[in-house]
Amino acid sequence: MTEHDDRQIREALQQSFPPVDTELRRDLWPAVLRKLDARPVRVPWYDWALIGLSAGVFLFFPQLILVFAYHL
Amino acid sequence: MDLLRRFTLGEISAFETLVRQFQGDIYAWIVRIVRDPGIAEDLTVETLWRIYRARQQFRPDGNFAPWARRIATNLALDHLRRKSPEHSLLADPAGPPPHDPLLQQETWEKIRHAFRRLPAKLQAAATLALIEERPYDEIADALGTSVGAVSLRVFRAVRILRKQLKDIGVRP
Repeated sequence: MTEHDDRQIREALQQSFPPVDTELRRDLWPAVLRKLDARPVRVPWYDWALIGLSAGVFLFFPQLILVFAYHL
Repeated sequence: MDLLRRFTLGEISAFETLVRQFQGDIYAWIVRIVRDPGIAEDLTVETLWRIYRARQQFRPDGNFAPWARRIATNLALDHLRRKSPEHSLLADPAGPPPHDPLLQQETWEKIRHAFRRLPAKLQAAATLALIEERPYDEIADALGTSVGAVSLRVFRAVRILRKQLKDIGVRP
């Protein structure tokens, strides 16, 4: 591919895609804040798995609850 | 305590200061890639939200702007991946470059369409390098890759684009 080809395609692209206005016209902080409020922190699946596993272990080996409580 | 440290600790007023300071830069970067102001605003909000969510991964002694730009670039790339051209290109017999303004518009539309069919990573690299004429090191940083990889992506984008345009009979 020649430099001429490159320039040709660059010019064609610049003509096909007019320049965009890169200036932000409004403050986005209120929208960010709304989004932060709208999405409570979700507990990841592996935390649920750990809770389930612990519950299962304590169900079958209740004496471990005391060991666990001692280490808290 | 400095602003970035307060941000990593989740202090909302520190985050607000950062948002006000960087939202313009983030928006400008995203709009250059997606080329739609409405979508760029939405993606900027999403970027800022993700930045806050990932605050603990940020080192307070690091540089905030490139980190934010990388998150923004990833979101813009996701958008390009989701967005595919609605119509396929119609083949046209090859002919001389059009001089009629209407034909010229049609040619540009076909070029835009062919460009949007490029894989997202190639499209983003080519947009920033060829249309926006951003420095390659800046593009590499935002894409999380090397300058060599950016050059390769631009080269591949041009090669694919040229072939697609040739197939539909468009000569740029």
